[in-house]
Amino acid sequence: MLDLLQAAADGVLFGATYSLIGIGFTLVFGVMQKLNLAYAAASIGGAYAGLLILHVLRGAPASAVFFCAFLAGGVLGYVVYVTCFHVLPLSHPLASLMATVGMLLLIDEVIVHTTAGMPQNYPALFEDVMLPLGSLTVRGDLLLVFGVSVLGMIALLLLLYRSRLGLATRAVAQQPVAAQLCGIRVARVNAMTFVITGLLGGLAGAMIGASVGTLSPLISTPLTTKGLIVTVIGGLGSIPGAILAGLLVGGLENVFQLYRGVTERDLYVMLLLFAFLVVRPGGLFAPSGGRR
Amino acid sequence: MDFYWGLVQIIGVHSLLGLSAYIVVLTGQVSLAQAGFYAIGAYAAGMLTVIREWHIVPALAVGALLAGAVACAVGFPALRVKGLMLVIATLAFGEGIRLFFFNFDYQVAKGAIRVGPLGGEGFRQIRYFPEHGWSTFQVMLFIWAFVALVMAALWWFDRSRYGAVLRAVGEDELAAQSVGVNLTAVKVSAMAVGGAIAGLAGGLYAHYTTHIEHASFNILLATFAIAYPIVGGLASVFGTVAAVIFVQGFLVEGLRFLGDWRNLLFGALIVLAMNLRPYGFLDSRALTGLGRLLRRKAADA
Repeated sequence: MLDLLQAAADGVLFGATYSLIGIGFTLVFGVMQKLNLAYAAASIGGAYAGLLILHVLRGAPASAVFFCAFLAGGVLGYVVYVTCFHVLPLSHPLASLMATVGMLLLIDEVIVHTTAGMPQNYPALFEDVMLPLGSLTVRGDLLLVFGVSVLGMIALLLLLYRSRLGLATRAVAQQPVAAQLCGIRVARVNAMTFVITGLLGGLAGAMIGASVGTLSPLISTPLTTKGLIVTVIGGLGSIPGAILAGLLVGGLENVFQLYRGVTERDLYVMLLLFAFLVVRPGGLFAPSGGRR
Repeated sequence: MDFYWGLVQIIGVHSLLGLSAYIVVLTGQVSLAQAGFYAIGAYAAGMLTVIREWHIVPALAVGALLAGAVACAVGFPALRVKGLMLVIATLAFGEGIRLFFFNFDYQVAKGAIRVGPLGGEGFRQIRYFPEHGWSTFQVMLFIWAFVALVMAALWWFDRSRYGAVLRAVGEDELAAQSVGVNLTAVKVSAMAVGGAIAGLAGGLYAHYTTHIEHASFNILLATFAIAYPIVGGLASVFGTVAAVIFVQGFLVEGLRFLGDWRNLLFGALIVLAMNLRPYGFLDSRALTGLGRLLRRKAADA
């Protein structure tokens, strides 16, 4: 029982990164009704770019690496927007989908090329801190991952609900044509959405690197799948759904791993998704009524 | 020369894979489960020829039927969700199948060795072609016979009432529904036919490589399957084959001399291709232009 609780707690803390990735997918979908399959790869790419500061400034603190990853994620988000969404016809989602797949492969290959395919060590903070909590112990680095991710989410929610840019973003998500008629520059809002999700993605990538200890381009496809599953379980387009689903998937994944081993773990995550598709196809926070 | 026949084999099998996605994409759905159906066909046909020692043609047929049946079963729950939700559902399903084969052990003793799929190590000794003395050229012809068959069938579909219904659903679901088209039946049947074609492709793949493992049926393969019809264009089956030749013949083999840089170019060229021709290489305008050109040539002669 104690093992179960410990595994679930660790998983939920790590699940915060899945929440961030899920938010990225869901936000782009909400605004543009399109899927950005390059998102998880760009997040990992941002995390790698954060390591670049170690080459410029030897012995830079871990927080500087995280900040660099955050900024690089935003830049990569903009690059993805320009190459895969800006000029492609809005009415033809397949073309953008395919272009993001091309971008996913490109980012992965750039990483493999610059690191010669070697996994890179990633700096962490508080990795030797163990907080006792009743009979459970909480790993300090995981707690940091959780805290930073939650801060990122709070910042995003403030931006969306308390700023003019957020208002414009929500207007475009609801009715792009009406928003344009009100004088909102839709293309700019779309671009900003990519930059914002990119920033969050860079942060998520850095947090994944910090909690696992190494980064490898091999994790970008599983991360894409996990992020998409989180998006569907949470309900496509719903930010609170993505947050909750990320924590849920993170926690359950670790429990599955405890009982069935690492090779079968993801199989059960897929089954979880299918259970949701059958029972609640709209996700946790599906808008009630006929709209999907 | 065998190298080139081998390349032609790969193009043939990938054409089948692309065509399996083509029929699903026609209905406006994006299925990333094609690699999963391909894996089912590969494992089923491989097990039948190796363990049961069947002839290859019935083994391929059983593999295709099994994959089609699974696709049909997946179609019902997955098609409750639309558009991009379906992309994710099928992606997860394809990964689910791959993970199933990752954990799938079924070995029997055959002579001195044990044969059959063995989890992460994969499934070796699918040696039907070498054991029966088929040359690479003959295998290539065998594969392309199936490609021609499937292309002809899809070509004929496109001109039938069924093809018109498929395209109607793809163009505008609401309009199709209001003229009395049964959306579920159309989508599930397209999914089942696509699954069967993918299963056939998988069976052929298992026999020409002789060794299959779960890692070959990853998301990358699934995105390739869906990429062929999208890059090639949905106006005709030839678009898919043109895209396969572009990707496998030019991007993968043709650029091999670039070494490491080839992989970098690969993604960039796909991004570029989509930006330049968002509706695919052979969109309907290109096809009418080509048709006019051919007719003029015929009139001149």
